[in-house]
Amino acid sequence: MNPQENKMGLGKIIKTVWKLMRIHRTKFIFSGFCAILSILCSVITPIILGDAINILLDGSLRIMNHTGTIDFPKLFYILFIIGTLYFLKNIFSYLYEYYTKRAASDIIYALRERMVNKVLSLPMDSVEGNHRGYLFSLFTVEFSLLNTAFISSFSKLTITLITIILTLSFMIIVNIWMAIIVVLVVLLTSGIISMLLKFSQRHYHKQIAIEADTIGQVEEIYVGQEVVRSFNYEEQALEEFIHNVKVWNNHEWKSRFFSSLNYQIMNFGNNLGFVLVAIFGGILVIQGTMSVGRILTFIEYLNNFEDPLQQITEMYPQLQGGIVAADRIFNFLETEEEENPSDKELKSFKDKIIFENVSFGYTEDKKIIDNFNLTVKKGEKIVIIGENGAGKTTLLKLLMRLYDIDSGKITIDGVNINEYDKHSLRSFIGMVLQESWLFSDTIEENIRYGNLESTYDEILTASKQANADAFIRKLPDKYKTILKEGGNNLSQGQKQLLTIARTIISQKEILVLDEATSNVDTRTELLIQEALDKLMENKTSFIVAHRLSTVRNADKIIVLGKGRIIEQGNHEELLAQKGYYYNTLKSQKNS
Amino acid sequence: MVSIISPLKKNIKTILIIISLLVLEAYFTLQLPEYTSNIVDIGVANGDIAYIYSAGTTMIMLTILAIITGILVSFFSCKVASEYSQNLRILIFSKVLKFSNHEFNNISKGTLITRTTNDVSYIQMILEWVFDVIILAPIMTIGGVIKTIQLGTNLYWIILMILIIIIFFMYLLLKKTIPYLVILDKMPDIKGMVREIITGMDVIKTFVREDYESKKFKETNDKYKEGRDSIRRYILFLNPLMTLHSSIMIVSILFFGSFQIESGTILTGDLIAFIQYATQIVSSILIIISFAKSLPDLVLPIKRVKQVLDTELSIVDGEIGTIDERKSTIEFKNVSFKYSKSETDALTNINFKLEPGKTVAIIGGIGSGKSTILNLIPRFQDPSAGEILINGENIKNLKLKTLRERISLSPQNPCIFKGTVKSNMTLSDPNASDENIRYALEKANANFIGSLDDEVLIEGSNFSGGQKQCLSIARSILKDADFYLFDDSFSSFDLNTEKIIKNNLKELKDSSILIASQKISTIKDADEILVLDDGQIVNSGSHNKLVESCEIYREIVKSQSDTLNEGI
Repeated sequence: MNPQENKMGLGKIIKTVWKLMRIHRTKFIFSGFCAILSILCSVITPIILGDAINILLDGSLRIMNHTGTIDFPKLFYILFIIGTLYFLKNIFSYLYEYYTKRAASDIIYALRERMVNKVLSLPMDSVEGNHRGYLFSLFTVEFSLLNTAFISSFSKLTITLITIILTLSFMIIVNIWMAIIVVLVVLLTSGIISMLLKFSQRHYHKQIAIEADTIGQVEEIYVGQEVVRSFNYEEQALEEFIHNVKVWNNHEWKSRFFSSLNYQIMNFGNNLGFVLVAIFGGILVIQGTMSVGRILTFIEYLNNFEDPLQQITEMYPQLQGGIVAADRIFNFLETEEEENPSDKELKSFKDKIIFENVSFGYTEDKKIIDNFNLTVKKGEKIVIIGENGAGKTTLLKLLMRLYDIDSGKITIDGVNINEYDKHSLRSFIGMVLQESWLFSDTIEENIRYGNLESTYDEILTASKQANADAFIRKLPDKYKTILKEGGNNLSQGQKQLLTIARTIISQKEILVLDEATSNVDTRTELLIQEALDKLMENKTSFIVAHRLSTVRNADKIIVLGKGRIIEQGNHEELLAQKGYYYNTLKSQKNS
Repeated sequence: MVSIISPLKKNIKTILIIISLLVLEAYFTLQLPEYTSNIVDIGVANGDIAYIYSAGTTMIMLTILAIITGILVSFFSCKVASEYSQNLRILIFSKVLKFSNHEFNNISKGTLITRTTNDVSYIQMILEWVFDVIILAPIMTIGGVIKTIQLGTNLYWIILMILIIIIFFMYLLLKKTIPYLVILDKMPDIKGMVREIITGMDVIKTFVREDYESKKFKETNDKYKEGRDSIRRYILFLNPLMTLHSSIMIVSILFFGSFQIESGTILTGDLIAFIQYATQIVSSILIIISFAKSLPDLVLPIKRVKQVLDTELSIVDGEIGTIDERKSTIEFKNVSFKYSKSETDALTNINFKLEPGKTVAIIGGIGSGKSTILNLIPRFQDPSAGEILINGENIKNLKLKTLRERISLSPQNPCIFKGTVKSNMTLSDPNASDENIRYALEKANANFIGSLDDEVLIEGSNFSGGQKQCLSIARSILKDADFYLFDDSFSSFDLNTEKIIKNNLKELKDSSILIASQKISTIKDADEILVLDDGQIVNSGSHNKLVESCEIYREIVKSQSDTLNEGI
């Protein structure tokens, strides 16, 4: 599941869209019916309008020859029909637009919901690292492309096709020669336009490329402005920028010019058609094969015909974008979900957790955990230390089955954790990670996340235990303070205290903690330390530790190196071994 | 001060050409209905085919002329608009390059990027639109009115009525949608929710909150859908309004026109021409209305760009272009600093001296003001009280370029740019030889570099945090400066790497070094350590002295000796 995934092909996309549309069958059929009626009204109108002109002409002829006057009753009757047709047309087209767009947006919003549910059910390795950006762009870029393509272009496309078919048939019925003229003019203009499109596309692609480069440069220079200024690099930066912007401009105006010609050519086609209809219409009238009013009829038809064609040329890139987006989104919806076949519940933890010959790698060729063995008794505090990339956090995630091990087994009270329902396993384990994830809602709701049933008083108690109460009370809205953008209005340390409160309230038997406190000042660090100690009371815990005091008090210290245990034992035992642990402590003392 | 219109001044001639071409285009287009009318009234009425041919030929000529002028208009307007946006971007960019921290605090970097790119594109689009359509619309309206007057009917009141009806209902409809727009505006941001879910998957999974998140999302998603549906219910009424003139208006004209034909005021052909003109007038006015309607949206990007161009620079360049002595000293004298929007000082009464060959260090927690002090030296911001002297001269009197030539900064965020390793290095010294660069890299322990032409991706994303810090340090020591400023530049290093690099820094022996850090290990061997707490220097001296005399320092030492420093 990455940006270069295999393509589904147009056929399959259409099939999927069709399936989605079938749910709203009645709405679509009804609105299609309305569309045909509405267009019928607008196709009949020009003919009747022509009749009105004929009546006027006949009448004025009679007036000139003093043989009578305009046939007013007939004229008013016809005008009344035109008015009625206008209203009917608009009623039908309103119904059509409303119901198609509603059905389309039902589909699109349901699709977005499905996408979120898909994300929520993906295995961890599909939502981490590089995948995040891709997933996010599915929801923003791709989704909005599909949205425009489906909601607005789809309804336009249908109406356009119906309009073209109906207008063409009526033109042929009324007068085939005039119909041929209109069709020729339209074909000529659309031919020229599609040729011009190639020119503008060529420059457009080049423009997009240089535009991206330039934006990249702007970003870097603005973000790195301290470096730019301190090294007096402004002039060179400006020079480079001017160069980029000039190339950008060069392609841009050409691409815009060629695409603006579309409009001109359309206009030309309109006027040319207008003139040709007037001339040939005039001749046909003199020959007596057609009435004058039909000239007006065909002028109206010409407009009816050109408008939708213009819209198709505008819609084409939108539809194209929509197809690409649909391809990605549908493909994404088919990616494999996290497996959770068992519904066996983990009910209690009484005795011990055992890691037996556990191996794991994120990719096949690189093992992060290599033949790892460990036995943990209930109530023990296990500290894991080791260099970055040694696999400390990975080990913790394996226990929660955020990832499944490649070989070996992890057992709780003798039962392989793979036999349990993942959700029930995870409900037993609490985790506090280095990056504190909070969501944009009140502080209260964020703490309640740990236990949805908890009362306000329980939240208060938990946050007191987590040393968070003091700072929360200082905030203007206290527990109702809304965290903006996942808590950007709090400091790193405060966020960590909240995640601890959240974990305290969830009352898990087994804890998995990451103690890193690098971005926290000394005083807050002490608060965090205290809070973590309270959290761990009487619990079985695994700690990625950074503090010597934590390490010293651990029941067992595991020194990890390249996924294997280098040393293990308690503080005294390890000092006696005079290995990695001993040396680290010694070098620290000397520095 | 540069105004937002100034880049257009160069193109004033072209703009005049565009306007005259537009008048021509309107003239040609407006001639056509008259000929149709003549074809009906003269050609058809008399059965004169020759007349129809000649009128037709003239019409084709007019059409061709209209398209030629139209193409020329597009050509010039695309060119002018694009050139304008190019020049506007250059204006903004060069203005931002002169910004100091004060300005960056007022206008965030993120929005500055948008202002330089998207906002300008938007303004450009408007400009093209104005040239191509908006100027033409009033010309067509006026021309159309003149033409209808020449036809000699008094049916314009129909046009007026239709316009009033359209505008009235349009106003009514838009008013109806406002409450829904307000509701939608207050709803949680869907994209933000998705981002939260994607970044928090591990937490969601450990708390087994998949269903909770799914339900929460569904609620918001459904609300959005309902809001959009309600708005659509009203907005769709705009369609019949916008076509009112092509149907009801024609019917009304025919109705009332028929009486005038009977009384002999006008001919049928004239009535047909009148219908064409009326349609043109109304659609031109509709264009103007829709432009006016979107004006509030259009003003926003213009305002945002204008704000950048109108920003007054807080840092004024000095006069003195040279610093005489090779061995310079910098002295902070009672320096205080306050952020413009804040009431309390970020720095209070800072005094210290940077002397050749000496290393000064600042230690303090997050937000204690370390970076602020460092940023005052290259004048990224100016003190609000007190003065900073270089060899006794206030740094404000020096040219910025001269001052910054003597300073080499390694900022908190390493800021590695897209390009090659070499292009990043030569940023600090354009004339550096490959040999010098390699030497600097070696001193910064950047042993992960293969060749100087190694590619660096945007924001240095193909390097780890520690590697980027190495590169940043190498870049800064490559420059021959009097003052080397390291702003928390050693934070990602393990003890060993830190020791190696700091040892190499001793080669900068004639210069002075200022290191800001949170780590005792980074600063303990400095000649003088300033302990910064809440913007004040609470104590200073050597490590040994501070351990004895300073409570805060002892606290930091105690806390950090409890930290396990594993190799990283």
